[in-house]
Amino acid sequence: MPHLKVQMAGISLDSPLVLASGVLGVTASSMRRVVDHGAGAVTTKSCSIDPRKGHPGPCIVPYEHGMLNAVGLSNPGVDAVVREIATYREECQAPIFASVFAGSVEEFGEVTRRIAAGTPDLIEVNVSCPNVQSEFGAPFGASFEDTAAITRIVKENAGNIPVAIKLTVHCPSIGRMAKVCEDNGADAITAINTIGPGMLIDVGVMRPILSNKMGGVSGSGIFPVALKAVWEIHRNCTLPIIATGGVSNGDEAAQMILAGAHTVAIGSAVYNRGIEVFQRVNEELLDILELHEMQNLEDLRGGAHE
Amino acid sequence: MNEQMQTFPVIEVVEHNPTLKTFYFKVKTPVQPGQFVLMWIPGLDEKPFSISHQIKGRLEITIKAVGPFTQKAMELQPGDKVGLRGPFGRGFSLHENALIVGAGCGVAPVRYLHEMAKRQGVNTTLVLGARNGTEVMFRDQYVKEGANIITDDGSLGQKGLVPDLVRKMLATGKYSTICASGPEVVLVALQNIAKEHNLPVQLSFERYMKCAIGICGQCCLDGSGIRVCIEGPVLTHEELDQVTDIGLPHRDATGQRAEKSGVCQQP
Repeated sequence: MPHLKVQMAGISLDSPLVLASGVLGVTASSMRRVVDHGAGAVTTKSCSIDPRKGHPGPCIVPYEHGMLNAVGLSNPGVDAVVREIATYREECQAPIFASVFAGSVEEFGEVTRRIAAGTPDLIEVNVSCPNVQSEFGAPFGASFEDTAAITRIVKENAGNIPVAIKLTVHCPSIGRMAKVCEDNGADAITAINTIGPGMLIDVGVMRPILSNKMGGVSGSGIFPVALKAVWEIHRNCTLPIIATGGVSNGDEAAQMILAGAHTVAIGSAVYNRGIEVFQRVNEELLDILELHEMQNLEDLRGGAHE
Repeated sequence: MNEQMQTFPVIEVVEHNPTLKTFYFKVKTPVQPGQFVLMWIPGLDEKPFSISHQIKGRLEITIKAVGPFTQKAMELQPGDKVGLRGPFGRGFSLHENALIVGAGCGVAPVRYLHEMAKRQGVNTTLVLGARNGTEVMFRDQYVKEGANIITDDGSLGQKGLVPDLVRKMLATGKYSTICASGPEVVLVALQNIAKEHNLPVQLSFERYMKCAIGICGQCCLDGSGIRVCIEGPVLTHEELDQVTDIGLPHRDATGQRAEKSGVCQQP
């Protein structure tokens, strides 16, 4: 019988499917419910040192090929997330990844030091959110120097908790960026974040729909972009990859693994296929392994490069 | 109307009092009683509202001015365009001999349920509660129809609290279920009374919402992880059994739990 168990950065997962950051990741019970529906691990919504209310609505709008979001990194602050992780541990065994972001290299160190106190299984460092440019300038993930400096300070503050750097495609070369992360001590790469930002205008009132006017694009439309990024990262560094970007079915998850991913994060697809998407994609992945007479996902991983 | 943004002109405004108005829109998409829509006032914000009626493509949204968004909504005139998305969530299901209860701002969704019952010939009984007579939504209609009205100060109908009246009415043994909407403290009381009588309930809950499409996780209830925007806002006693934060202050826009509850959570 084939199985879906995977090992990544010293973490054991029953399924390669991870709940992506920013989706259903505010509360412990919500994340436990996602695990009940088949996710192998969950990621908390990205948090900062201080609480943030985020942008007014509309902040998430679906369109024909995916969705646009400018939630504005709302979060209850890192210390509240540490308490939420503790509650999650009481309810659930599956690994929990904690996503963090900050406005400066030093603050990345501080938020990491404080989230590490909650002992998540992995710290995901969001250097690539496109939604706060006016406040924080261009994403750090666009600069090799900034990404290197953040990787180093985060590793210094993470203790023995593995660190994944979450990259954006909006950089000179995501393959080289991943190598920079590896050279500076990262344990894994998450790729990609939302792309753009993009915009939608309501023709009835002739105004941009999002209150922030622009927002990150996610969902099915960005899948080929994310897949190619994972492919490039796999060719340029040896770190395990948490692949994310538009995956909504077993075929797409298998494509990510064939391109080199260890795990596959799912977010926007919860909208199209419901919270049950995790169980369904697990079943679809098992069908694919069976069809190819493979025993586990290692047989599949990186297979498209050969 | 669907989950993508579309704007609709206001076709009529009815003023019940300066802080309570009903807005009418031409929307053919069927909305069930208890379901909600997101209303976008361009340049301001987007907030969830339940529907107070829909008939022949005429959608009715009743809004009480309690915060910055709803105060701005009071300025809307016929011809002004707002965004409407939805319908979202699960509404009420209609049962013979249901006791339909609306307290305060909660009258809007149960009004639609009661109107639908009348139209379909389903026998139901309506209980309306408010702080005082001027805050009873659609007062003239309900006084004329002889609805059971109770106010805190006794200025209209009986004097007292909604749960007390409901307890008295349930003693008659005439009712099959309670369908209710209103402040959470009232819902908790009704849930307990229903338990005493071994009656099923359908209660409509509110939580801070951002996306309304089951993605953001902001409105999840503790314990079960149920999303108020998808599995709710109307929840049954079975669904409520696993929830651990009913009656507690709600989480705010950051996701932190607030220090104290508001009486009416409308934006």
